[in-house]
Amino acid sequence: MSGLGEVVTNLVADVDAVFLFSPSTANYESIVAESDVPVVVVAAENTVGTESFIELPIQFKEIKERIRFGLEGGMDQEYIDTGTIVLCSMGLFSDGIDSVTRVRAGEFTHTGIYDLFVNSRAEPSVIRNVLEVVIGLGKKGQKGKPVGALFVVGDAGKVMNKSRSLSYNPFEKSHVHVGDPIVDVMLKEFSRLDGAFVISDSGKIVSAYRYLEPATEGVDIPKGLGTRHMAAGAITRDTNAIAIVLSESDGLVRAFSGGELIFELDPEAY
Amino acid sequence: MPEIGYIVNDFLSDLSNSILPLVVFVTGVLVAIILGRLSRRLLIAAGVPGGVEGTTFERTVNRLGTSTIGLLSGLITLFLIALAVGLTLSIGGVLDTRYYLELLRGYLLQVFVAALVVIIGLIVGDKAEVEIKQRFQDVKLTEVSLLPPAVKYSILFVASLIALAQLRIETGALLVVLGGYLLGIIVLGGLAFKDLLAAGAAGIYLIFSEPYAIGDTVDIDGHRGIVQEVDLFATRIENDGEEFILPNHIVLRSGVVRIRT
Repeated sequence: MSGLGEVVTNLVADVDAVFLFSPSTANYESIVAESDVPVVVVAAENTVGTESFIELPIQFKEIKERIRFGLEGGMDQEYIDTGTIVLCSMGLFSDGIDSVTRVRAGEFTHTGIYDLFVNSRAEPSVIRNVLEVVIGLGKKGQKGKPVGALFVVGDAGKVMNKSRSLSYNPFEKSHVHVGDPIVDVMLKEFSRLDGAFVISDSGKIVSAYRYLEPATEGVDIPKGLGTRHMAAGAITRDTNAIAIVLSESDGLVRAFSGGELIFELDPEAY
Repeated sequence: MPEIGYIVNDFLSDLSNSILPLVVFVTGVLVAIILGRLSRRLLIAAGVPGGVEGTTFERTVNRLGTSTIGLLSGLITLFLIALAVGLTLSIGGVLDTRYYLELLRGYLLQVFVAALVVIIGLIVGDKAEVEIKQRFQDVKLTEVSLLPPAVKYSILFVASLIALAQLRIETGALLVVLGGYLLGIIVLGGLAFKDLLAAGAAGIYLIFSEPYAIGDTVDIDGHRGIVQEVDLFATRIENDGEEFILPNHIVLRSGVVRIRT
């Protein structure tokens, strides 16, 4: 026992910041009261009313991803820098705090996942809603069969000018937004159509059935991905939009921004 | 022997005289309790518990060991029992029936309605305060915190006016205050929200008829660019390096040039 105690003491020794992942109010208050280093809360909602808060748009099942998102957010908002030693505490198996991990903020390569959510043209809630729709599609598919889908989010005016219509736009003169209850079903139905969905900064679904025509020269995406991913990468380099792609072949969800793959996740894990 | 007959007769008439009021009283109380229970169920079915949750009134009442629903159904029961007592007394001959009817038609009903109005006013006021507070939770502006109490006390003011009028207390002066207050809100609000209202009205037209869509190149009032967003109040158009946010009434007033490419 005494040996283990020393390990824990070493873990918490001279850290520069504490990151609390979805803490309860009681936990947060007792830690803030005793801590002499900055305490940052990473959670879906700011329930404890703290100043240093990073919004977690999706509950990453993978703990590493969750920590990475928190750290990138912390660096972006300048709570920490790359040299900061951060103590992360979270509830891995229960709602209370049951695990502690110590990490240097520069440990991860900067992927821009936090940037994608917070500093895109589109509002973070819109990106989150689109991601939720795509994850839902990836889980269930269209009537049990795996489907592919491509959503281009933000900078819709420019995207519309860099693409052409494959057929009548089913969303013409409609005013539905992603996140509206009925839209899930509509998007699921229309996902069997070819082409991309275009979504505006505020979440309005501008068009389905769009054939993207960006310049693909020099777009560098990992080998083995198909034309859908290539189009997604290229449109995000040509415009200020981001793209979220569901792959038909491997079932993974990938997000592109600025012509680069930002992250990929497995919908089955959410 | 006729004496016994008298006694029996007397006894029987006394009995009938006292049994009738007794039966009326017991039935009245029973009806009151049943109706109280029924109204409680009705209130629960109407979703009142969820509606009053989190209001100050509910919390105060909870501290006193009851709930809003308990209070309301209790009030109804009490009112009906008062009716039953009055009825019993008037049948028993203690109270003049005319007085009873007067009481029923007049003061008792008024007090009941006034109490009900005050309770509903308190609940609605609290609820409005909570709702507005939640709506403005993300707005980090201290002045906004003035709004919820203002709305709450306006509602309480109107509720107390109604209650006082029910009790036939002179409310003329308070009505003048209310009139001035409403006039101020309408005039100042109208002035303040003039442009927003105009933009909103124009926005409804633009959204429904959609003369231009996202992605079109347009020229509005000398601002040329690609339409990025059309919402109720404004149209955003963008060209290289510039983004124009044009209120919708300006769009309607100046007209739109669609540029064909």
